[in-house]
Amino acid sequence: MRGDRSDGARVAAGIRKAGRLATYQELAEFLAKVERRAYKHALFAVRDDHLALDIVQDAMLKLTEKYSARPLAELPPLFQRILQNTILDFYRRQKVRSMWTLPISSLLGSGSDEDADPLETLEVADDSKFSEPPAEQAERSQVIAFIEKALEQLPARQRQAFLLRYWEELDVAEAAKIMGCSVGSVKTHCSRATRALSVMLGKQGIKP
Amino acid sequence: MNQPENELARRIVEHLDAGVDQLDPATRERLLAARKRALGRYREQPAPVPGLAWAGPAIARVSGHRFYSVRNLVAVTTLVLGLTGLAIWNSFGPTHELADIDAGLLTDELPINAYLDKGFDSWLKRASR
Repeated sequence: MRGDRSDGARVAAGIRKAGRLATYQELAEFLAKVERRAYKHALFAVRDDHLALDIVQDAMLKLTEKYSARPLAELPPLFQRILQNTILDFYRRQKVRSMWTLPISSLLGSGSDEDADPLETLEVADDSKFSEPPAEQAERSQVIAFIEKALEQLPARQRQAFLLRYWEELDVAEAAKIMGCSVGSVKTHCSRATRALSVMLGKQGIKP
Repeated sequence: MNQPENELARRIVEHLDAGVDQLDPATRERLLAARKRALGRYREQPAPVPGLAWAGPAIARVSGHRFYSVRNLVAVTTLVLGLTGLAIWNSFGPTHELADIDAGLLTDELPINAYLDKGFDSWLKRASR
């Protein structure tokens, strides 16, 4: 009986904590916790560390300036939405720039990479480092580097779905909301991404 | 998604976490600076008013403008309440009584109180002269 009451009190306290607005300290702790992963998200997408840092900074600024008066529990999906929109803004700006800078012939090439198969474009070097027998630590770093490279090679939507769903541990509905698509699409993107990563890693003899 | 795919995803994510831990110090410093800069812009914001939370989007939908500011909503609500109060006061206040007396004078149906009023009596005498 007493245990039930204390459990109930803990649950009630949890709900109160989740419902109340984030304090400055909590916001700071939240940003400290997510900033590195956010940087990796941006880096996989834009493949430039300076741009990735700019994107993360923009996303953090938007969160603190406009959305700080939100309950603590809302911050993770909200920040992901801001981050993904900031990455999309980068793509849009890049597209506009490339329309003026790229030759016309390049504009007539294949369009969206939405349905592209990354396995067709992934170049595997013959003198691959991964076939060598390195020390455990170095091997681990190489596996990480290859996984990150493979993620970069994924179509943007597949990568986005995979990272939101598995790395950020958002549920399918939240990921769908952030990506602006249906729950079914998120599941399809996740499945394709995992399969593609499995094939890429398998080709290198890597078992993560 | 089936179980093997979930398991593979989980293992990949473990490597991604390890990759985050291996970020070089320079990048960490720059991220720290970016975070500090973002937190420097932090300012306390008022909590949304629960009862009026629906009003902003509703007005925005009707008018096509954004009325998300709680300050705007409070001002509009105060104005509406003020005008309503004024209308109620006018309909039951002294103005209404004066209007009744005027109507009685015009229709020769004065209430008995008008004849008991000494001021009215002296006014009648002055008027008849």
